[in-house]
Amino acid sequence: MTDSVPALQTIGLVAGYERDLPIVRGIDLAVARGEFVAILGPNGAGKSTYVKALAGTVPCFAGTVLLGGQDITQTPVHLRSGKGLGFVPQTENIFTSLSIAENLQLAADVLPKAFRRSRLEQTLSRFPDLAARPKLRAGQLSGGQRQMLAVARALVVEPQVLILDEPSAGLSPKTVGTVFAMLKEINSTGVTVILVEQNVKAALSVVERGVILVEGQLRHQGRAEALVNDPMLAALYLGAHAPQVAQR
Amino acid sequence: MIELVSYGAFFLTLALTFAIMCLGLNVQWGQTGLFNVGVAGFVGIGAYVSALVTTPDLPERLGGFGWPIAVGWLAAALAGAVAAALLGALTIRLRADYLAIATFGFAVVVQLCVLNLQSVTGGPFGISFIPRPFGALAGDPLIFGLLNLAVVAAVTLGVYAALEHLTRSPWGRVLRAIREDEQAATALGKNAISFRLQAFAMGGAIMGLAGAVQGHFIGYISPEAYVPILTFQVWAMLIVGGSGNNRGAILGAIVVWAFWAASGALIAAIVPPEEQARASALKIVMIGLAICLVLLLRPRGLLGELKTVSRHVDDGKDAKT
Amino acid sequence: MMAQTIMNGLIAGSMIGLGAVGITLTYSILRFANFAHGDMISWAAYFALAVSTALGTALPGLATPVGPFSFGWSLPLGLIASIALTGLLTLLVDWLLFGKLRQRGGAVIILVMAGFGAALSLRSFLEFVFSSRPTYFTDALQIALPLFAGVRATADQMLGLGIAVVLVALVHAALTRTAAGRAMRAVSENQALAGLTGVDVSQTIRLAWLFGAALAAVAGVMAGVLVQIRPHMGHDLLLPLFAAAILGGIGSVPGAMVAGLIIGLSEALCVQFVGAEWRAAVSFVVLVAILLLRPQGLFGKQIP
Repeated sequence: MTDSVPALQTIGLVAGYERDLPIVRGIDLAVARGEFVAILGPNGAGKSTYVKALAGTVPCFAGTVLLGGQDITQTPVHLRSGKGLGFVPQTENIFTSLSIAENLQLAADVLPKAFRRSRLEQTLSRFPDLAARPKLRAGQLSGGQRQMLAVARALVVEPQVLILDEPSAGLSPKTVGTVFAMLKEINSTGVTVILVEQNVKAALSVVERGVILVEGQLRHQGRAEALVNDPMLAALYLGAHAPQVAQR
Repeated sequence: MIELVSYGAFFLTLALTFAIMCLGLNVQWGQTGLFNVGVAGFVGIGAYVSALVTTPDLPERLGGFGWPIAVGWLAAALAGAVAAALLGALTIRLRADYLAIATFGFAVVVQLCVLNLQSVTGGPFGISFIPRPFGALAGDPLIFGLLNLAVVAAVTLGVYAALEHLTRSPWGRVLRAIREDEQAATALGKNAISFRLQAFAMGGAIMGLAGAVQGHFIGYISPEAYVPILTFQVWAMLIVGGSGNNRGAILGAIVVWAFWAASGALIAAIVPPEEQARASALKIVMIGLAICLVLLLRPRGLLGELKTVSRHVDDGKDAKT
Repeated sequence: MMAQTIMNGLIAGSMIGLGAVGITLTYSILRFANFAHGDMISWAAYFALAVSTALGTALPGLATPVGPFSFGWSLPLGLIASIALTGLLTLLVDWLLFGKLRQRGGAVIILVMAGFGAALSLRSFLEFVFSSRPTYFTDALQIALPLFAGVRATADQMLGLGIAVVLVALVHAALTRTAAGRAMRAVSENQALAGLTGVDVSQTIRLAWLFGAALAAVAGVMAGVLVQIRPHMGHDLLLPLFAAAILGGIGSVPGAMVAGLIIGLSEALCVQFVGAEWRAAVSFVVLVAILLLRPQGLFGKQIP
């Protein structure tokens, strides 16, 4: 594999809950290895559905999803984590009835036996808060700690690509800062990170590239620094009809 | 010819008593999505209450007030409603299947009570000499049969008309709204729990009434009439007819009862007496299979639901972006 | 006298507990009250009966009672065969019925109803094949041995009690200490997230069915040895089983066992002080009480 192969790529992806009413309507996107990308867009743009289709929890009706060049469009959900795709859902993203350690063990169970213990220890060493109380029932964690555990759970298998659906939802501004700093740090170790965000300003302050979806299609994208001041972005979020700008 | 007509009247009258039960179940399941596995319990309560209220006083048994049949029927409906309301209040806030388990237990307990409370219910001997409508004309089977058919048909039609009216009323619309999307209905300011409870109690009342009507038509009740198989029959009727549809409930009752009676007669005719219990077991196997097959292949029954599409049929997906 | 009542209650309760553990497992993972579970217990008893009778006929030595027990080696062998056959039967029903309805994504209550239909067919089919006449694994008579303080129990009863306790401890350990157990608990809490975490949800559901079937098989054989074998035996146990599973808290294995013992004891006390004819009502009274006072059960978490 060469570095020119994108970490994750979709070609003409059509996905949604009902075949005759797709929510994602033909998205072409390539994310390079080690890149940090935010998927933005107004409510109902299909951001969340798009990443769920990548994770495999929403059916794809057409198009292709490539993970490191390998076609995973029809790969069952439970095999994707082993292939190196980590996904953190927006809500209910940890098992509240299991302990912290069990949440991570569950993720490690897809690995060959010999690697499990060392992977668990490595993961815990990155999250001292969690490592301190491995037996605690995850349901007793605070919002920020839950998000940490959810990310830790996804990291156990050392994914090439980590996808997060609105990691900042429901968190205090201070915790949002902590979570984003953590993601930045994860990204700096070489993991490709893709996140869906409503919180545009916060997201653009950490990511490298922003991708804007409107009505299930990729409408606009650019470097984070450039997008922050892009009038098109403001127009989209004010709910006005997006100016018809040629893509790219 | 006269025999045929009076048999026809007898068959249809009995089928219509099942149709009333089926209408009651349709309010609970078809309109509201509440699963009742204790139909036999509610029917049994109605039959016994009405019998106690209307039979003459007997020395060896408590009760027996000798009141008019109509009073007995009202009391039966009331008893069914109260039992259903209590069971509903206990479970309706909890998981959907707790109601099913509770009604299942309720039917077991009703069965035990009628069997064991001998001083009230006559125990295993049941209660006989329940006054029959137009009992004075019993000497002429044809007239008597037709008059009884008329009475039961009138009750069935009355219940049907009342339910149709309710289905179309704002009350019925709220019920369906709750069934389709409880969150939306609650957000609209309607108290979903109270509406479901009302529907469950109403279904219980109709089943109680059906039990009373049936008891008075036959003139004799005993515990073995209210065993779980009755529940299964009524369910099969509703599912065959199509849940959510009142006309389907009536049609299903007649079709399934005809099938039941015909297969019973066939078994009696061709199977040697010592094997008949086995053969009827096979009949019940078929009812169970029919329920499963209809759920798998034709979830909307013979007639299907009118106007609205049942959420229980093929939808459960979360259509969120 | 009182001590004997308690002993009888514990023996009956251990049987109820075993069945209830099966119910609580499948309930928490498959998320619906399976009315066919009771009939799996009956089928398991008849499977064991068929296999052990065949073995006993082919090799008469196997039918000779072992030690103080009323049965020979053909019965344990029959039980093992029954675990496998009951497992296959549950998987078959899941494949033909529940699995198809699950795929369609319908409401829980549709599954409950399908279970109810399946229960009806399964039960009546047994009645068709074996008739409703009760039957027994052996006709060997057993003498109740004095244990302590005038309490007596047969060797079969003591064995049943022991097996139930050991089995529940094993199931609990499997759920809390093994990868498969973790996967089951994860699926019971959140299927979608379990899939994302790498758990094969369909595989785990099949595993849950097999666990439930194995426990049903042991409960069925035990009930057959201690009481009798009838097509309705499992159906008659269903209310106590549901009551025990809810009393213990859905999903809690130790809870189901403890609740099973509580129900067995209450039934024994009812027989002693109220009358045997009211025994079947005990479970309903317990059920109503627990739903009124603590609907999440003794050891349960919040109701989802």
